[in-house]
Amino acid sequence: MGRKILLVEDDRETASYLAKGLAQEGHSVEQATNGQDGLFRATGGSFDLIILDRMLPVLDGLSVLRALRAAHIETPVLILSALASVGDRIEGLECGSDDYLVKPFSFAELNARVNALLRRREARVDPADHRLTVGDLEIDPLSRTVRRSGKKLDLKPREYLLLEYFARNEGRVVTRTMLLEQVWDYHFDPGTNVIDVHVSRLRRKLEEGFEKPLLHTVRGAGYMLAA
Amino acid sequence: MPTTLRIALLAGLLALLSNLAVIGFIYVRTHDEAVASLHRQVTEQSQVLTDVYRTGGKAALDKAIGDTLDYADTQTAVALIAADGRQIEGNLAQAPAVQSMQVGYHNAVIRLRGQPSPHQAQIVFSRLSGGEWLVSGRLVGEGLAFRATLERSLLLSLVVAGLLGLLCGVVLAHYVSRRIGNIAAVANRISARDLSQRVPLSGAGDSFDRLGLQINAMLDRISALMEELRLLTDSLAHDLRSPATRLRAAAHAAAESSDPAEQEELLGSVVRNADALIRILTTVLEISRSEALTGRKQFAWFDAGELAAELAEMYDPLADERGASLKFDRPGRPVPLFGHRQLLAQAVSNLLENAIRYGSDGGEIDVRVSPGEKQIRIEVADRGPGIPLDRRTEALRRFGRLDSSRSDEGAGLGLALVQSIAHLHDGELQLADNEPGLLTAIKLPVHPPQEAR
Repeated sequence: MGRKILLVEDDRETASYLAKGLAQEGHSVEQATNGQDGLFRATGGSFDLIILDRMLPVLDGLSVLRALRAAHIETPVLILSALASVGDRIEGLECGSDDYLVKPFSFAELNARVNALLRRREARVDPADHRLTVGDLEIDPLSRTVRRSGKKLDLKPREYLLLEYFARNEGRVVTRTMLLEQVWDYHFDPGTNVIDVHVSRLRRKLEEGFEKPLLHTVRGAGYMLAA
Repeated sequence: MPTTLRIALLAGLLALLSNLAVIGFIYVRTHDEAVASLHRQVTEQSQVLTDVYRTGGKAALDKAIGDTLDYADTQTAVALIAADGRQIEGNLAQAPAVQSMQVGYHNAVIRLRGQPSPHQAQIVFSRLSGGEWLVSGRLVGEGLAFRATLERSLLLSLVVAGLLGLLCGVVLAHYVSRRIGNIAAVANRISARDLSQRVPLSGAGDSFDRLGLQINAMLDRISALMEELRLLTDSLAHDLRSPATRLRAAAHAAAESSDPAEQEELLGSVVRNADALIRILTTVLEISRSEALTGRKQFAWFDAGELAAELAEMYDPLADERGASLKFDRPGRPVPLFGHRQLLAQAVSNLLENAIRYGSDGGEIDVRVSPGEKQIRIEVADRGPGIPLDRRTEALRRFGRLDSSRSDEGAGLGLALVQSIAHLHDGELQLADNEPGLLTAIKLPVHPPQEAR
């Protein structure tokens, strides 16, 4: 389960807090405190994920990222940044990062994104049966049909996308901002509980008439689909 | 004041030079005239006398010279000189030596009979067929005298012109420096932190008034911006205070509490208030980014109808939950728009959230996208209480929350952000009456800002 993660972060306090947290999750973490060192380590070792601070001494995060992508190193990169505007986020993603997390963030948020990125890598490596199953729930991404215990569920297109994203991250916490970014492709912070309303509608359709809950609320973090 | 002096001297010098040019012209012309007319007279006289000799012979010429001398003025010089150098007839005091005479027009110095001293003269020597010499000419004394007078008066007028020019220069410099001095004085007082000063206008509508008007307009704009900035800083400080205070209180209480359940509850409140702080800061940042027009390089073409449809679908369940129905009629054709998709999505979502927050009681929220010739309108209309006409400007201002006692999470930045995003697109946000309710419209030009393309 444990993966190799490279953490490039110049702020010692943040770095040690994140390294400790990730180690507790079972990952092995290698650290670099400036961009040049980070680029050197990233090109040298084989990592499953690189967590890259955007503002780094010597060589900034986006330059490191561009250099990595230019060298065809396709390791997933999660950018951390205090640059919070929508334009900054888009710029970070356009540079070839796989995710962009704005500081300050909770460790739960970071962990959820790390797991999603690692999971995506797994899926990429192993394209198994195209059907997704979570307990008695069966999802067919080709026909976009969903059955629970053989009974077809009637989902709206967006509800289907939401469920598919949950299913691809089965057993892992998914945060509200991850949903907004991945399912809707929006990078702003809505001032209302608009995401929660969608999730609770989906939950109603998934669980109505069934005893066993599938879509769980994880307090202080987000949601999780698990049998 | 060296500048005034410089202007005065420059004006004086210019007046002097232009007068010099005019006077020089007059001088040269008059001089040439005088010389030409003398030359004509002398040639004519000599011509007439040689003609008389040719037709009437020596006797007729003798008589003609006599007549000429009888009627001539004192400038006339005429003489018939025999081949041996003797003066047969004429008024020369002494005949010139025969060997020194050459046929043609000459400048010479001669003395007339009865005159005390020799004079400059223009003379024509002609050799007659009988071997005699005809000397005919005029003294140039008169011309010289005239030239001297002319030179004196021209010189005098030059001095007068120079002095007048200098005087004009002083007056002009004084006028200019007084007008500029007014502006400079205002600038000085403004530097000393009194932005209320304005440049006084003469009312003449001249260039100085136009300059003053422009400076005053600039000052008005600066004052408005400074006032806005001051208000913004005040509001930001004020609005950050409440969540910061709540956060501190919750953190403090959590530290004091020994009950784990209560502690968890309080720490949740800490996180919520911290999030509220972060949201305010992020929004303020987003607004200033948009107002500074950064982000135009991320503009791209997309379908505004599709965007609105997506957002309407996104907010439909929320509206439904709050007891309102959200309606959107997607235009039959795509509405191509060149802009920042993410920021416009945020703008429309802000309008939708506002409509749901304040207008849900009305029961109906309408979303419309209307493509026009020159602009695209994205409208969100609710049936809530609306915003009275006189408070709409206030509503668009940052932190311009209409009811300051309202304690919901909207920090009064929503509409300000929408407006700044509209500005980024060279568009605007319009608030209107939905009769009843509020109609908000983002108006965007079909043709995108030039520098974004």
